[in-house]
Amino acid sequence: MQIKRFIYLVGILCLALNSHAQKKEFKFGKVSAEDFNAKPFGIDSAASAVKIFDVGECYFQYIPTSGFVYVFERHVRYKIINKNAYDLANFQISLYKSGNSSKEDVMKMEAATYNMDQDKMVVSKLNKDAKFTEEFNKNYQIKKYTLANVKEGSVIEYKYSIRSNYIFNLREWHFQSEIPTLYSEYNVKIPEYLTYKTYFTGYYKVNQTKHESINASYVSELSSNATYDQYVLEKVPALKDESFITTLDDYRTAINFELRSTNFPNDFARDYTGSWPKIIKGLADDENFGLYVNKNSIAKSLLPTLLKGEKDTLAAANLIYNYVKNNIKWNKSYRMYSSETSPKIILDKKTGYSADINLLLLNLLTEAKIMARPILISTRDNGEHPGYPMVSKFNNVIIGVNIAGKIIFLDATNNDHPFGMVAYENLNHQGLLIDLKIFDGRWISTESSFANEKIFSYTLSLDKENKLKGSMLQYHKGYGALSLRNRYRSNTNETEFIKNFKKDKQGLEVDKYKINNLDNFDEVLNEELEVTIEENVEEAGNLVYLNPLLYEQTKNNLFKQDKRLFPVDFGYPIKESIRATINFPEDYEIDKLPKGGIYKLPDNKGMFSINFLTQDKTILVKSVIEINKSLFSPEEYFDIRELFKVIVEKQAEQIVFKKKS
Amino acid sequence: MKLYISFSFLSFFFCLNAFSQNIYDVGKIPESLKQDAVAIVRNEEQVYDYKTIGTGSIKYKIAITILSKAGDDVAEFAEVYDRFSSIYNIKASIYDASGKKIKDYKSTDFKDQSLISDYTMFQDDRIKLLKFTNNNYPYTIEYSYVQDYNGILSLPSWRSLKGYNISTEKSTYSFQRNNNLNIRLLTSKELNTDSTTANNKTTYTWTASNVPAFVKEPLSVGLDQISAWVRIAPNQFEFDSSKGDLSSWKNLGSWISKLNENGDVLPPVTKTMVQNLIKDAKTDKEKMQILYSHLQQNTRYVSVQLGIGGFKPILAEKVAQVNYGDCKALSNYMKALLKEAGIKSNLIVIGSGIPELNRSFSSMGQANHMILAVPFAKDTTFLECTSQNYPMGYIGYDNSNRNVLMVTENGGQLVRTPKYRSADNYQVRKANIQLLDDGLATIIIKSNYGSAQYEDNLSNLLAEPAEVRKRALQHLDFADAELQQIRFEQADKTLPIINAEITYKTKQLLSKGADKFFLTVNNINRKESVPEKITNRKTDFAISFDYSDEDEIVYTLPKGFSIEFLPKDVKLSSEFGEYSASFSMTENTITYKRTQVMSSKVFPAAKYNEYVDFYKKIYQTDKLKAVLTKI
Repeated sequence: MQIKRFIYLVGILCLALNSHAQKKEFKFGKVSAEDFNAKPFGIDSAASAVKIFDVGECYFQYIPTSGFVYVFERHVRYKIINKNAYDLANFQISLYKSGNSSKEDVMKMEAATYNMDQDKMVVSKLNKDAKFTEEFNKNYQIKKYTLANVKEGSVIEYKYSIRSNYIFNLREWHFQSEIPTLYSEYNVKIPEYLTYKTYFTGYYKVNQTKHESINASYVSELSSNATYDQYVLEKVPALKDESFITTLDDYRTAINFELRSTNFPNDFARDYTGSWPKIIKGLADDENFGLYVNKNSIAKSLLPTLLKGEKDTLAAANLIYNYVKNNIKWNKSYRMYSSETSPKIILDKKTGYSADINLLLLNLLTEAKIMARPILISTRDNGEHPGYPMVSKFNNVIIGVNIAGKIIFLDATNNDHPFGMVAYENLNHQGLLIDLKIFDGRWISTESSFANEKIFSYTLSLDKENKLKGSMLQYHKGYGALSLRNRYRSNTNETEFIKNFKKDKQGLEVDKYKINNLDNFDEVLNEELEVTIEENVEEAGNLVYLNPLLYEQTKNNLFKQDKRLFPVDFGYPIKESIRATINFPEDYEIDKLPKGGIYKLPDNKGMFSINFLTQDKTILVKSVIEINKSLFSPEEYFDIRELFKVIVEKQAEQIVFKKKS
Repeated sequence: MKLYISFSFLSFFFCLNAFSQNIYDVGKIPESLKQDAVAIVRNEEQVYDYKTIGTGSIKYKIAITILSKAGDDVAEFAEVYDRFSSIYNIKASIYDASGKKIKDYKSTDFKDQSLISDYTMFQDDRIKLLKFTNNNYPYTIEYSYVQDYNGILSLPSWRSLKGYNISTEKSTYSFQRNNNLNIRLLTSKELNTDSTTANNKTTYTWTASNVPAFVKEPLSVGLDQISAWVRIAPNQFEFDSSKGDLSSWKNLGSWISKLNENGDVLPPVTKTMVQNLIKDAKTDKEKMQILYSHLQQNTRYVSVQLGIGGFKPILAEKVAQVNYGDCKALSNYMKALLKEAGIKSNLIVIGSGIPELNRSFSSMGQANHMILAVPFAKDTTFLECTSQNYPMGYIGYDNSNRNVLMVTENGGQLVRTPKYRSADNYQVRKANIQLLDDGLATIIIKSNYGSAQYEDNLSNLLAEPAEVRKRALQHLDFADAELQQIRFEQADKTLPIINAEITYKTKQLLSKGADKFFLTVNNINRKESVPEKITNRKTDFAISFDYSDEDEIVYTLPKGFSIEFLPKDVKLSSEFGEYSASFSMTENTITYKRTQVMSSKVFPAAKYNEYVDFYKKIYQTDKLKAVLTKI
């Protein structure tokens, strides 16, 4: 079996940060003068706070009634530089519970504020009446704490521990946060009976400072061992957001854990997720995955009326896909496991999670003998999957259907998805195509065959009152069409849609509007407009001038920042072409047209071209923008920034007429 | 049609509904109700039984037809409760277009969640939630519930229209009270109140039927102007073991004053601290300044709202120990600090950023904030005690120019907060733009911002420099702009004034057109859009902000450029505001000046299109271009 990973994150550098490993002591309440003098550093020197240290430990206990549980302890200390950091004095912990015995608890919480009053340190401990418990819903409880006497210059600290029954994933550790961190350390002690996989995210290389076997006793009279790992990172810069990224968590330096196997005395060695085949077998046997897909009674009764003997695979797949997308409404939540154990319940409810819907689709396709398989996805918000066997990092499932040897991606969560389109959130570059029969899986590229494509075609006449009159045709393809359909349907009616369409288009009057193929996915979605445009032609003495690209002129460079740390991730390619034909009055003349040009990025990554032509009393302008890749590395950022600079500059050029006097 | 129904008859009516078939058939909806509608309230029945000053119960039922995707947001059950009320007997169903029931929802379909507003750490409120979903339009949702109140501060209000783009086929509110319980009613102008008395009980009924949907109009004063509505306030109330009288603002003030009795006692150590802080101060204003600065440097905003704690400040003694609190706690603490310094002050109950208190209708729920008033012989200083940054006496635009309730030992008293006038809320800008031969322009802009415009720029004053740069770059007019320097300063901490200076370079100052160069003369303060004209506007409109802008740009051009065309001066004067733009030139300079002064005011609907014309003229003038040629 071949498992191959596509490396998409081009820019992961694994920068090594200076570290001067010293013997550190972290004792609650023992605050030194050094702590009061702690300062933010490097590019964060003006930060509102600095994290002096953040030290965590995760170890196990054995509880006869519930087995192994883990205890997570954390001790964090901050120096508050200014008022912007006051939020650090409000702290909260989310706890999960799924039953009376299966839950997480805060076992201990100590916290305090330290202030220097002249030369004396004043301690304000966390008050009892400053602790709150919010019962968020039946699964989540939020513990909240607020510290007293916090001001500029205070040092604050929290030390707490959480006990959890959910040992499949251990508490992840963030070495990096929105506050610059001087020292971060995580200690993990795992009993010999358990094995975990770890994976790192982010830009900085974490130092593993310990990896040793220690004595650990979990049950009295039984001596046993644990593996002790320690990870350290020092002087970690603050994490800052950028536009056009998947999720900031993809770039946060952190470590995650997932259970691989258990090997308890008097039990078989159990490998849960040690390999893809193990994981996939687990999914095949799961009542909210494989078994859900296998329940075929409803499919058996539904398919004959649905397919009416349709033999062609593509046609049959289309019928099934349309049935699912038009009958079940997505509840706007992603899930990889179905919420019900049978597709019938979902068909009755007519609503469900993404997995409920897409696995129902798989259920029907399979029963119709159409070759289809699930593709496990980690959505853009959920972040990049590390590539190796780690099931908990997936949070969604789409379907790959095999039509004449080609895999087409299906996602029935939105009835405006044409056959083959998946929701934008799924455009995270790769997915795991799995086979529930032979427990096989392989990474495939999930780059969409749909771009975000718009084609505008204007035919306008300029009159002597400086009005433009004529038609605008606008074609929308791929994700462009999806977005227009969504906008159109989100309006009360066409009148309101037009009103909103006009909102940022000064001087536009829509005399006639028609949208074609709104519900027909086989043809190109397009809008036909008859328009009158004022406000866009200007006069200066005997000169009359206008920008022929009108409202589609790109006025702003989205990439103005001089530097970029993270890749630019559009999700899909982008294409925009505008063609404007403008007739002008007999006694107007054009002396000179702007120069056209073509600007290409290396390796056909993107291009921009603009052309100006004139013939008799007509000018023709054509502008084309193509971004051919969905993902640009930070090194390529400069390219895309420059391209947009040129686009803005060239698209701003005016057509100038001289009036014959 | 106005319909009167007694309570017992109404319950019978409920039963009828449940058995009749297809009453929600979409085919039966009159066309007039579909116009501009995303949803139609088919039937709403709200029945309130006001039993004692502290108890009451509501029976509520509603059916709504959702016409299109745009109406999905309305297809929701979301009811709030807390430890003083309970919701039960919840029923919910969904029907298809023909009125055929698709299904009943089960109690497990409802979510129960805590409801804690932004900026609040903890409060009692919870919400029960159900999102109805259906893939085919139209569909109809129906739900009903009973909610019992044990503790009453306010009584439910009612409005014929539930929101924009939602029409109402029929809606009824029936309010019943025991005759010994006094209430006050406030209704929209033309609404009829039917009332009957029997068995020591009085029942009021309001009905609306066939009310068409209303589309939101720009700058509108709101739906209340065109819909029927009623507000009900109790005269006496009981809540969380506290009884009070609401019949006048005076009495409401007395209640708050009493809640707060002895709440401004400071611990000895804080008293000593106050005395130490003010020992060198000569005047009361100086003392106030010292104590207000102390408050700003040492406390922070943390909000916890539990039961009566939503109205009663935490004791000053407690705030002195922890140095945090909500608006009430911090105002009361400041009051205590001032008291120790021998300065008298009063708590102010205020509606901040919401409509001001109604002078003639006292009720709960019109206020959402508390500040402090410090009366001096000649003037009164108001203090916003939750801000760690405002200069003393600056209370923010949202708190300004409104009726507020001053809490005194003799009860409540309506007073008015200061107004920040156009001249206070200023932006004065001077820009210098130097264009070089190679097309590179250096732009230096110096700005001063006052009062409300100071507030707009406060986040820039406080943010990390890297963040300020990032934001500024995002907003610069030119795609290639290279930011050289940016700086925000508050030279005098006692005044709400920010000075800013920004320097950047661009090669795109001029846009080309064949052999001409175009210069958008105003590139520092443009109005970029104009509100749309409306025929038959129904609601009045409001200019919501007083401000004045004064901008000046001096361009210096390199040798070899000549100015071929300069726009003409424009001067506008109307009841909406004043505007002027002037353009002048010398051989190698262009000087541009712009002023705009606007005053907040409500105007009748009929004036709206005139306002659009005024605004459009500003828009047109702001984008005027000069034409340059290279010799």
